[in-house]
Amino acid sequence: MPHGAVADPDEGQVDQLYAETRQLRLQGFLLFLVSDVVLFSSFIFAYLYLRNTLPAWPPPGINRLDVGFAAFNSVVLFGSGVTMHYALESWKHGKFARYANFLIATIVLGAAFLAGQGYEYTNLYMREHVSWSGSGAFGASFFTLTGMHGFHVFVGVCYLTVLLLQSCAGVYTKEKYFGLTAGTLYWHFVDVIWVVLFSIFYLI
Amino acid sequence: MAENRQAVGFGRGFWIATAVLTVVAAGSVYFWYTLPISNALPEAILTARQIDDLFRFMAAVGSALYVFIFGYIVYFAIAFRAKKGDDPNAIGVQVHDNVRLEVLWTILPALFVVLLSIISVKIWYEITLQPANGLVVEAIGHKWYYTFRYPQVHGEITDEMHVPLGVPVTLNVTSSDVIHSFWVPAMRLKTDMVPGMVTTIRFTPVRPGRYQIICTQFCGTQHAEMNKQVFVIEDRPAYDAWFHSWQAKNANASDAVATASTGTVALAGGDAKAGQATFQAKCSACHAIGPYSQRLVGPGLKDVLHDPSHPSLVDGDAATPANVAKILQQGYKGDMGQMPSAQMNAIGDKDIANLVAYLNSLK
Amino acid sequence: MAVQAAHAGGGIADHIHPEPQGFIRRYVFSIDHKIIGIQYMITGFVFFILSGLLAETIRVQLMNHAGGFVSNDTYNEVYTVHGSAMVWLVIIPIVTGGFGNFVMPLQIGARDVAFPWLNMLSFWMFPVAGLLLFSSFLVGAPVAGWTEYPPISLEGGVGTSMWCAAIFLIGVSSTLTGINFIVTIMQMRAPGMTFTRMPLFVWAQLATAPLSMVATTALAAALAALFIERQFGVPFYDPTKGGSPVLWQHMFWFYSHPAVYIMVLPVFGIVSEILPTFSRKPIFGYKMIAFSSMAIALVGFMVWAHHMFTSGLAPYLQLPFMILTYVVAVPTGVKIFSWLATLWGGKIHLTTAMLFALGFLALFTLGGITGIFLAAIPYDLHIHGTYFVVGHFHYVLVGGSLTGIFAGIYYWFPKMSGRMMNETLGKWNFALFFIGFNGTFLPMHWLGILGMPRWVPQYDPQFEFWNRFASVSSFVMTFGILLFFVNVIWSLRNGKKAGANPWGARTLEWQLPSPPHYYNFKHIPNVYGLPYDFSLPLPYKGLDEELTDSPAPVPAGSH
Ligand code: HEA
Ligand code: HEA
Ligand code: HEC
Ligand code: CUA
Ligand SMILES: [Cu+2]
Repeated sequence: MPHGAVADPDEGQVDQLYAETRQLRLQGFLLFLVSDVVLFSSFIFAYLYLRNTLPAWPPPGINRLDVGFAAFNSVVLFGSGVTMHYALESWKHGKFARYANFLIATIVLGAAFLAGQGYEYTNLYMREHVSWSGSGAFGASFFTLTGMHGFHVFVGVCYLTVLLLQSCAGVYTKEKYFGLTAGTLYWHFVDVIWVVLFSIFYLI
Repeated sequence: MAENRQAVGFGRGFWIATAVLTVVAAGSVYFWYTLPISNALPEAILTARQIDDLFRFMAAVGSALYVFIFGYIVYFAIAFRAKKGDDPNAIGVQVHDNVRLEVLWTILPALFVVLLSIISVKIWYEITLQPANGLVVEAIGHKWYYTFRYPQVHGEITDEMHVPLGVPVTLNVTSSDVIHSFWVPAMRLKTDMVPGMVTTIRFTPVRPGRYQIICTQFCGTQHAEMNKQVFVIEDRPAYDAWFHSWQAKNANASDAVATASTGTVALAGGDAKAGQATFQAKCSACHAIGPYSQRLVGPGLKDVLHDPSHPSLVDGDAATPANVAKILQQGYKGDMGQMPSAQMNAIGDKDIANLVAYLNSLK
Repeated sequence: MAVQAAHAGGGIADHIHPEPQGFIRRYVFSIDHKIIGIQYMITGFVFFILSGLLAETIRVQLMNHAGGFVSNDTYNEVYTVHGSAMVWLVIIPIVTGGFGNFVMPLQIGARDVAFPWLNMLSFWMFPVAGLLLFSSFLVGAPVAGWTEYPPISLEGGVGTSMWCAAIFLIGVSSTLTGINFIVTIMQMRAPGMTFTRMPLFVWAQLATAPLSMVATTALAAALAALFIERQFGVPFYDPTKGGSPVLWQHMFWFYSHPAVYIMVLPVFGIVSEILPTFSRKPIFGYKMIAFSSMAIALVGFMVWAHHMFTSGLAPYLQLPFMILTYVVAVPTGVKIFSWLATLWGGKIHLTTAMLFALGFLALFTLGGITGIFLAAIPYDLHIHGTYFVVGHFHYVLVGGSLTGIFAGIYYWFPKMSGRMMNETLGKWNFALFFIGFNGTFLPMHWLGILGMPRWVPQYDPQFEFWNRFASVSSFVMTFGILLFFVNVIWSLRNGKKAGANPWGARTLEWQLPSPPHYYNFKHIPNVYGLPYDFSLPLPYKGLDEELTDSPAPVPAGSH
C-alpha cells in the first residue's frame, strides 16, 4: 500500500517507487493474462460444444490429426519454456551472456514451433483438404483456436526479440527487469495454453 | 445517541403506517386471487390453469412485498424529513446494524425462494410430463408462416393446425431458415423453432376454440405478421372427417413405396425439374452435385443412385429410389452428421418425389 | 484497529507529475482520471440522447396498431441500435468509466488510477465504437435486436459486421478499465483504508470490475466468431454448415447476464453513498451491503440460461438455472432492506439527488420482482419474448440504472463543476421523469401477458389503447429528461458556487476543493474509520492543507 507524504524522493525512495510500480504492473499484467485465459476458454467451450453435437469426431472424411508431428512440435515449444526459465534465472544472477544465449534459444525455438505449425497447416490443407471455412465445425474450431495460439506465439517471439534488444541497450538492470518478468510470464502462459489445446485436439 | 434513539423508536406513526400498508397489501393479494384472468385470455389447455395459479401466487406475494417497500420508502421520507425549524446540523439515529433484523431479512426471502422453487418445479413437471400417446403434429417455421404435418396421416403439408379436444398432442417444432417461435398465449406455452433441431412440447387442449399462434422470436422484416391459428375442435366426428379427408387424399396416390415405419411416399410422377429447384433451395447447403467424396456436410450426390462403387446408401440399404426416399423422409444420423428429416428440411411428400426423380436423373 | 502511521517514503502516491499545459493534453487526450471520467459521461450522454430519440421513434411508431411512421426494416434497425447503444454506449460506460473514474480514486485517496495511459486508451475506444455503431445506419444497421441471434444475424449487409466490431471495441475498453480498476483498488488505497473502511461505491466498483473483465472477454470471443462467420464463412453458428445457433446464445448470455449487473452494481454503490449523506445516518449493514455485491457478482455468472428457457435446452439443465436465478433475489433483498433501514430514523433531506435515489429504490425493486416472474420457467414459457420482458428490463435499466445515474449526477455535479444544480428544475425533472416512466413501462407488463410480442412494428388492434398511453407517457418522460439537460447547462453557468462540501458528506472526495486539484491530494491522508459516522469527527488525518489555496507540491526532480 502506498505510504505517506514526502515531497522530494531521494535514491532509496526511487527504488521503492520502482517496487511499487512493479507491483502494479505485475498485477495488471496477471489480470491481462487472466482475461486472455477467458478468451481461450470461451473458444474451447465453443469447440467442445460443437464437437458434442456430432456423433463422430473428427467427422468422416477427415482423418485424425497427426499426433506424432504435433507432439514433436510441442516438445519444441516446451523446450522454449525451459530455456526461457533459465534466461530469466541467468539475468537475476547477473550472467548476461548466458541470459542472452538462452533468450536467443527461446526465440529460435518459438519460431521453429511456428514453422512447424505452418507446415502442419499446409499439409492439412493440401493433402487432407481440411480448411478453415470448408470443413464444418472441425475446420472452424481447429484453425481458429490453434491460429489464435499461433498468433500469441508470434507476438511472443516479437516481444522477446524486443526484450533482447532492450536488454542489450541497457534498459534493464539486475534489480529492475519487469519487462523480462512479464515476457517470461507471457511465454509460460502460451505454453500452458498449448498443453490444453494439444490435449483437446490431438489426444481426446 | 441514546436520546436520539428514544426520539424516533417505532412510534405510533410507524404502527399506523404499517397497519395501513397491511390492509393495502391484503387488498392486493385479494385482487390477484380474484382477478378473472381467463376472461381476458382463455385457458385452453390442461396446464394453463396451473400456470395462471403460479402467476397469482407470485403476483400476490410480489405485490404485497412491494406495497410494504414502497410504502415505507414514502412513509420514512415524510416522517423523518428534516423540517424547516430543525437544526441544520441535526443527525439521524446512529445505528450501524442489527443482527437480528439482518438475519430475518435474509432468511425470510430465502425461505420464500425455497417455497417458490418447490412450487415451480412441481408445475414444471406437470407441463413437461404430459402424456405422449396422442396426436403427433409437426410444426415448421418459415419466413414468415407456419406449416404443419401430421405424420400419423402422412401426406402434404397443411398450413392449418387442427387438434381434437381432450386428446394429448405431441408437438415437434423446427424451422427451415432462421429461429422462429411457436407461442399460443391461450395455452401459456411457447417454444423456439430452431433450424437443425427438433424441440418437443406436449399439451392437452381442454377448451374448444380458435387461438392465435404467434412468432415471438425476431425473424426478419415481417416477423410481426407471422401468426396463424390453431383450431381446437370439439366435434369429434367433424375432426375425424377432416382427418380422414387428408388420409383419403393421400391414399389415392398410386405407386406407393413402403418405407420402414412412417408409411408410404408416392414416388411416381416426380418432376425432376421441380426437384432440382427444391434441391437448390433446401439441400445444396450440405450437398454438392458431385462425386460421393466431394463432401460439404453430407456426401456429394451426383451418382447416389448410379455409382457401382457405392452400391449401398449411408444407412446400409441398397441404393434404390425407395430407400433414398426413406432417408429423405426420416433423416439419418450417421458418421458424417445429421441428415435432417423431411420435417426439418420442411419438404413434403411431393417434394420428396421430385427430389428422388431429380437425383435419379443425374448420371 | 491499529492505524498505520504515515511513514516517510515517497510511494507512487507521491510521484506527482506536473499538470500538462495546453487544451489538447489537458482536456482531450488527458490522462487525469477526473477529466476522463467527465469525458465518459459527456460522450455517454450524447449517445443517450441519440438512442433516446431512437426510443421515441419506437414509441411514435407504436402509437398506431398499423404502425406507419417508419418501415418495418427501419423499425428493426431502430430498436436494435437503441438497445445496443443504451447498454454498451450509455449505461456501462457512464457507470464504470464515468462515475468509476471520477469518484473512485478520490474516494480511496489516490492521485489517479493505476494505469493512467491505459485509461486514456480505454476511453478513446469508446467514441470510436459509438461512431462505428451509429454510422452503420448509413449502410443498413443491424436488425436482429441487441442480442443478434444467428442465423438471422448472419444475413444482411455489412452493418451487422460493423456492429460486431463496435461492440468488440467497447468490450476491449471495458476489459481494460476493469483491470485498471481492480489494480487501483487493490493497490492504491490511502494508508489505513482497509477493505472494511472503503466507501460502498468503491466496493461496488470492485465487484463490477471482475465482471467487466471476465464476462466481456467471453463476449469478445462470441463476437469474433460471429464476425469471422459473417465475413469468411467459417461455420460456428450456421446449422446448415455444422454450426449451432444455440452456441451463440450460450456465449452471448454468459456475458450479457453478468452485464446487467455491470449496469446496476455501480448504481447500487451510488445509492449507498447518497442515502446515508441525506439521511445523516451511517449506512445500515455496511458489511452485508458490501458482501452482497460480491455474492450477486458471483451468482450472476451462473444464471445465464434463464434467457434460454424456450431454446430447447435439455430439461435437467434448466432447473438449476431457475433456482439460482431465484437465489439472486436474496442478496439483492438484503441491499433493499438495508437501504430502507438506513432511511429509518434519519434526518432526511429531500434534495433532487435523494429523490432520484429513492426513485431508484422504488423502481428497481419493482423491476427485480418482475424478474422473478421471468425466472419461473413455467411462467417464462408464457411471457418470454413479449412486452413483459421489455417492461421488466426497462424497470431495472431505466428505473434502476438510469435513475441512479441521474441521482449520481445531481450528487457529484458540484464536485465535478464547482457549481450547484438548480433544485427547482431538478424536482420538476424528477417528477415528470417518474410519472412518465411508470406510464410508459407499467402497461407493458399486461400487454405482454395478454399476447403482445416484442420486436413488432405493427400489432393487434386490441392493444392500441395501452400502447398510446405508453407513448404519450414517454413524451412526458422525454420532457422530464430534457429538463435535466437544461438544468446541467444552466447550472454550469449560473449555478451557485458549491464550495468543497455542500452536502455535508463524509467520503474523501468531499474534503477536497470543488473541482479537485489536478493532483487530487496535496498529501495522501490517513484513514481511521468508516466514512459514514455522522456523530464522530472525520476519520481522516493529513487533510488540513487541502482546502487552502497553496498549490500542490511538485517534487523536485520529477520528470
Ligand atoms: C439502459 C438501457 C435503456 C434505456 C435507458 C432505454 C430507454 C427507453 N426505451 Fe428501451 N430498450 C433497451 C434498453 C434501454 N431502453 C434494450 C436493451 C432494448 C431491447 C432492444 C432489442 O430488443 O434488441 C430496448 C427496447 C425498447 C423497446 C421495445 C422495442 C421492441 O421490442 O419492438 C421499447 C418500446 O417502447 C423501448 C422504449 C424505450 C423508451 C421509451 C425509453 C426512454 O426511457 C428513453 C428516454 C430518453 C430520451 C427520449 C432521450 C431524452 C433526451 C432528449 C430528447 C433531450 C434532447 C436534449 C438535447 C438535444 C440537449 N425500448
Ligand atoms: C440492470 C439490469 C438488470 C437487472 C438488475 C436484472 C435483474 C434480474 N433479472 Fe433481468 N433482464 C435484463 C436486465 C436486468 N435484469 C434485461 C436487459 C433483460 C432482457 C434481455 C433481452 O432479452 O433483450 C432481462 C431479462 C431477464 C430474464 C429473461 C426473460 C426472458 O427473455 O424470457 C429473466 C429470467 O429469469 C430475468 C430475471 C431477472 C432476475 C431474477 C433479476 C434479479 O437480479 C432481481 C433481483 C431483485 C429483486 C428480486 C428485488 C429486490 C428483492 C427483495 C425485495 C427481496 C425479496 C424478494 C423476493 C424473495 C422475490 N431477467
Ligand atoms: C444439414 C445438412 C443437410 C441438409 C440440409 C441435407 N442433407 Fe442430405 N445428408 C446430410 C448428411 C450429414 C448426410 C450423411 C449422413 C451420414 O451418413 O452421416 C446426408 C445424406 C444424404 C443422402 C444419402 C447419401 C448416400 O450416399 O447415401 C441423401 C440421398 C441425401 N442426404 C439427400 C439430401 C437431400 C435431397 C436434401 C434436401 C432436401 C438433403 N440431403 C439435405 C446432411 C444434409
Ligand atoms: Cu418468425 Cu418471428
Ligand atoms: Cu439475465
